[in-house]
Amino acid sequence: MDTNQIRRWIPAVAAMGGFVLASPAFAQELKIGLAAEASALDPHYHALTPNIQLATQVFERLTDQDKNQAPQPSLAESWKAIDANTWEFKLRKGVKFTGGAEFTAADVVYSFCRVPKVENSPSSFVSHTRNVDNIIVVDPYTVRLTTAAPFPLMPVTVSNVAIMSATEAGAPAGLTYNKENCTGVSAWPKTDDFNKMKYTGTGPYKFTQYVPGDRIAMERNEAYWGKKPEWQKVTMRPITQAAARVAALLSGDVDFIENPPIQDLPRIKANANLDMVQGLSNRVIYLHFNYIDDNPPGVSDAGGKNPFRDKRVREALSLSIDREAIVSRIMGGVAVAAAEFLPNPLAGTNPGIQAPKPDLDKAKKLLAEAGYPNGFGLTIGTPNDRYINDAQVTQAAAQMIARTGIKAQVDAMTQTTFFAKRTKREFGIWLAGWSADTGEMSNSLRALAGTPNPATGFGTTNPGGYSNKAMDELLTKALTTVDDKQRNEMLAQASRIAMDDYGVIPLHFEVTLWAFKKGLTYEAQVNQYTRPDAVGRK
Amino acid sequence: MTDAALTSAAVAPPVETPFRRFASDFFANKVAAVALVIIVILALLAIFAPWVTPQNPYDLTQISIFDNMLKPGAKSMEGKTFWLGTDEQGRDMFSAMIYGLRMSLFVSAVATSIAVLVGVSLGVTAAYFGGRVDSIIMRIVDLQLSFPAILIALILLAALGKGVDKVILALMLVQWAYYARTVRGNALVERRREYIEAAQCLALPRYRIIFRHLLPNCLPPLIVIATVQVAHAISLEATLSFLGVGVPITEPSLGLLISNGYKYILSGKYWVSVFPGLMLLLTILSINLVGDHLRDLLNPRLKA
Repeated sequence: MDTNQIRRWIPAVAAMGGFVLASPAFAQELKIGLAAEASALDPHYHALTPNIQLATQVFERLTDQDKNQAPQPSLAESWKAIDANTWEFKLRKGVKFTGGAEFTAADVVYSFCRVPKVENSPSSFVSHTRNVDNIIVVDPYTVRLTTAAPFPLMPVTVSNVAIMSATEAGAPAGLTYNKENCTGVSAWPKTDDFNKMKYTGTGPYKFTQYVPGDRIAMERNEAYWGKKPEWQKVTMRPITQAAARVAALLSGDVDFIENPPIQDLPRIKANANLDMVQGLSNRVIYLHFNYIDDNPPGVSDAGGKNPFRDKRVREALSLSIDREAIVSRIMGGVAVAAAEFLPNPLAGTNPGIQAPKPDLDKAKKLLAEAGYPNGFGLTIGTPNDRYINDAQVTQAAAQMIARTGIKAQVDAMTQTTFFAKRTKREFGIWLAGWSADTGEMSNSLRALAGTPNPATGFGTTNPGGYSNKAMDELLTKALTTVDDKQRNEMLAQASRIAMDDYGVIPLHFEVTLWAFKKGLTYEAQVNQYTRPDAVGRK
Repeated sequence: MTDAALTSAAVAPPVETPFRRFASDFFANKVAAVALVIIVILALLAIFAPWVTPQNPYDLTQISIFDNMLKPGAKSMEGKTFWLGTDEQGRDMFSAMIYGLRMSLFVSAVATSIAVLVGVSLGVTAAYFGGRVDSIIMRIVDLQLSFPAILIALILLAALGKGVDKVILALMLVQWAYYARTVRGNALVERRREYIEAAQCLALPRYRIIFRHLLPNCLPPLIVIATVQVAHAISLEATLSFLGVGVPITEPSLGLLISNGYKYILSGKYWVSVFPGLMLLLTILSINLVGDHLRDLLNPRLKA
């Protein structure tokens, strides 16, 4: 079927003029090799990078994230906070879904209503709608989103909620938003119907083919309101094996791949037909501690105490690790040593902050002062298939920690086992990664360093129970400060407090890589998304 | 008779004895003789690893990340030469291979020994008593042999977690059934022989008849199977470690070393997995050659 399409297409292109015949085969079509496959075409089904990056091409949002994750106008032309608890969005006029319906405020209400209604969602987008108390439709092109408390992150939060057409879904007229449960809709759209391409979006592309495990094909939306993308047709194939993905690029099966493995970079760089871009990501790799247990698992000969409760021990561990060596030796230079949870210049970071330099003598001195002149036994838990070279990074860190006299060991396991064990606090110290989907500091501080508390939503990924009152207070204040500059200063200060306490030890930021045929261009995205609409031509 | 050859081996006087005859038969085959010499050398290297290697790759303070991924023959920061290169953690490949071999041989030898002990005891017991005891034991054996060994080992390790002791346990549990079945078959034949009847007439205790009279006469096929099974155990351990469920990553065996270097193969950094791979190949091949030749010698039916 595919070859038939190409055969039909070749004469058509040839008819356009002689010069086209001479141009390379990928002239109008872009073939992409993906590291991971989206689990559905439904943009509200699974809050996972492969799903979200795909959905951005078809289902637009009120705002879009630029390459630094700052909110940009998309379906909303502009927005402003009209009082502490209300955000007003002016919608773009004259935008049409590829199915033909016109985009209006009713689609916004319907889409926000549908998010909690997705059946069997493995990871829901509700976290992005739960702060919205009510949606007031002022006129067909103006909506107001109200919140119970000041919510400064609204513009970037709505960039995660995809807009679908209420008309296509057969929504009743005058549907009103209700945070808990929108009523009056007899049947909500099924994920399966999205996979059958029954619903359309307003984005630069529309789906044309979906074969799970094999390919997703898209065609350019010729009526797109914004800048039209370069490629008329895009085919994306999941090639999960890194070596196979590189082989597909080298052989010309695909034009563009995400995440080429670090060990193949010299080979790609040396190839005159290939090009590459890299960009700092928002994913930090860090060491986290178990503060809760008196005898944390994996810690031995520590005199029956929890050594991590002693700040001197944490500082010694931080000082023993040579972050630059990990970056250059294990990450092939393709990573950046980290001083806090997010890299500059993202919002809420400390400008000019430097990763700590290793100081073995001081580390030994601190350990002796803390009562461990001969160290203690320490097993570091790590996944071995989640982050770039994760188990190798942990081994290298163990090697460096061992030089202080601490008998370091590594327990590596597959990610599902690792995350289950981490939640059950079966580690004393572990390595993990965190990427802030809002691209600013409050997200990371809240999840990793906030005192765990379901009421505040703090510490959702802080199973070791790190707790710092001063940091919590400042963060709480920052989260309700609407003024960007003020908030970011507070966040930077809160981050400083957590880092000076060595509560969590950041190691490095991953750098995301994309490799492609010479002649293409790509703008590296901090959120690690592979977006066909950002692939250009030189 | 070859049975007698083995039982009298320990007290061989310096004249023409069955053992000497057996030894000269064995060394008549040059391939098997070379293989045996290689096994002995590998075993000695493994046993004396701390004295023959320049570095202890399991000691994190002796390896340096700054020496990682060096080519064979490259020098370290301190001027040491790594003749076979280093891996991604900066381990000297030669030392890592010898220690890896030590780990592989240790794990498989211990697991095989325990499996022989368990399998033989159960097999002989089943054959001697017959009836219900026999049925129960042999049905368990049948059940066990109907699953692929790697599958059982994977499930066990997934349930038990990682560690050298757990790998040994898993290897033992997947192997004992082979010995039980072999020994039972042989013992069924032997127990109808006159010497067993004679022992029974003397009213010797049962355990004595089983272990002193019946068992020694079932040994020859067992020796062949045990030799080949050690090779199986080594490759099974290598497979498990390659899949990441075997030994801890800071104490790599040959399989884990291959797995560590596997992703670099296409990037031109062959030494990280090719050298341990060759070592594994050499070990298993030598053991199999010796095992095959032993089978030829000990099986009267194969004798011309």
